[in-house]
Amino acid sequence: MVSVLVCDDSLVARKQVAKCLPPDWDVAIHFAKNGEEAITALKQGKGQLLLLDLNMPVMDGYQTLQAILDNNLHTKVVVISGDIQPEAHDRVTRLGALEFIRKPVDPTTLEKVLLKHRLMSGPEEAEDAAELEPDIRDCYQEITNIAMGRAGDHLARTMGVFVHLPIPNVNLIEASEMHMMLSDIESQEQVTAICQGFIGSGIRGEVMCILSDSSFEDVAKILNVKEDVDDQLQLELLMDAASILIGTCLTGLAQQMDVTFAQGQPLVLGQHRAITDIIQTSKMKWKRTLAIELSYGLEGYNVRCDLIILFTEDSMQTMNAKLAHLLEDI
Amino acid sequence: MNDSELEQMQSFHWMMDMLQCVDVGIVVLDRTFKIKMWNGFMECHSGLLPSHVRDKTLFSVFPHISEPWFAQKAKPVFELQTRAFMTWEQRPHLFKFHNYRPITGNEPYMYQNITLAPLTSATGKTDHISLMVYDMTDIASGKKQLEAMQVSSEENQSQLDR
Repeated sequence: MVSVLVCDDSLVARKQVAKCLPPDWDVAIHFAKNGEEAITALKQGKGQLLLLDLNMPVMDGYQTLQAILDNNLHTKVVVISGDIQPEAHDRVTRLGALEFIRKPVDPTTLEKVLLKHRLMSGPEEAEDAAELEPDIRDCYQEITNIAMGRAGDHLARTMGVFVHLPIPNVNLIEASEMHMMLSDIESQEQVTAICQGFIGSGIRGEVMCILSDSSFEDVAKILNVKEDVDDQLQLELLMDAASILIGTCLTGLAQQMDVTFAQGQPLVLGQHRAITDIIQTSKMKWKRTLAIELSYGLEGYNVRCDLIILFTEDSMQTMNAKLAHLLEDI
Repeated sequence: MNDSELEQMQSFHWMMDMLQCVDVGIVVLDRTFKIKMWNGFMECHSGLLPSHVRDKTLFSVFPHISEPWFAQKAKPVFELQTRAFMTWEQRPHLFKFHNYRPITGNEPYMYQNITLAPLTSATGKTDHISLMVYDMTDIASGKKQLEAMQVSSEENQSQLDR
């Protein structure tokens, strides 16, 4: 594991830098509020890589670089600073910094720098076999279609609305691609999300239900709620809508695979936040998952609801076996 | 009675015994929300005997539960045979039970997660639902403490930064 030391006097900047580190990079992150703290940490071996700010109290970035040279400390330094004058750039390079990144740092730039200086190894080429075979994908798409058709029918009948049935999007995704997928769903708006685990007959996974915050008023109308929609009630509405969507969809899938799923209690992932903040992909322990994305809309209402069904990699073997009969008939 | 019948009877008794003593509240309701079953957990925490509540509606026994609200929750369970969930985050308690640990616990009342699940009869119809009550008090009070700590540490941090 690589140890990374982030040195900046601002808490926001420290957090921001830490967030920009590649999510699949196995690192131990340490923090320092100024150069002095950084030098102490480096002496303790906390920082094979130092991400250093320039303007700080007590001991600034230049003094820190000098102290690293003076103390002969072994660390690689990347400067991240808002001071982008050419002179600043030259000075830090002379003092041994590898690279100069301007604030605010973004994940792509940071990753490029890390790869350029071989601070982290690039993605392994051998892993590009993560493609679903077309007929298997077709098969998943079809059973989801059927399950959703039933779910839509149920919804339409209980709520008296016309449901636009989405085309399910089936993909194998890597943990690192999760963020991209989520930001595709909702880039601007704030959302509320819940997730629910399911397990049964060797198949397990989670369903995420994401509702954009602007949908709540209409959802309240559909569910016949007369009160003002406050936070508490929003949560309740989401929970109700999600129970129906997730429940019918999972039941539909389970019936076709001839299994039954136990569903855990749903968990609130977050309320009124940017979707990428809700799911911390850097903490994820899995590598690859089968993801089925469904995006529901209701005619005449401003409701956007996304359902993402994620199956663990090891579930796929069981599922493929269960679905083999569908493929045989082709 | 032959051996296999006896065995069946016995396992049925075990099953009933477990339902009775499992540390989860179990209530069976019919379409009019009359209470059909009430297990040991519910009996102990509410202080109401099964004989006292049987065939009474949930709302007559617990007047603070709103009927239209609950009926709305239960509708998809009856109609769609899906489960419905209520978490302590959205509603701390459906039944106002006392904390399981009255001496060392921090919270006066039990935080509850509630699950409504369909019960399908032999004919495939859903005329009854089961209501399950889980005690979430420890998790809720832990989360509340953690949040309080996060707020105070953020305040400290902002004071330091200043």
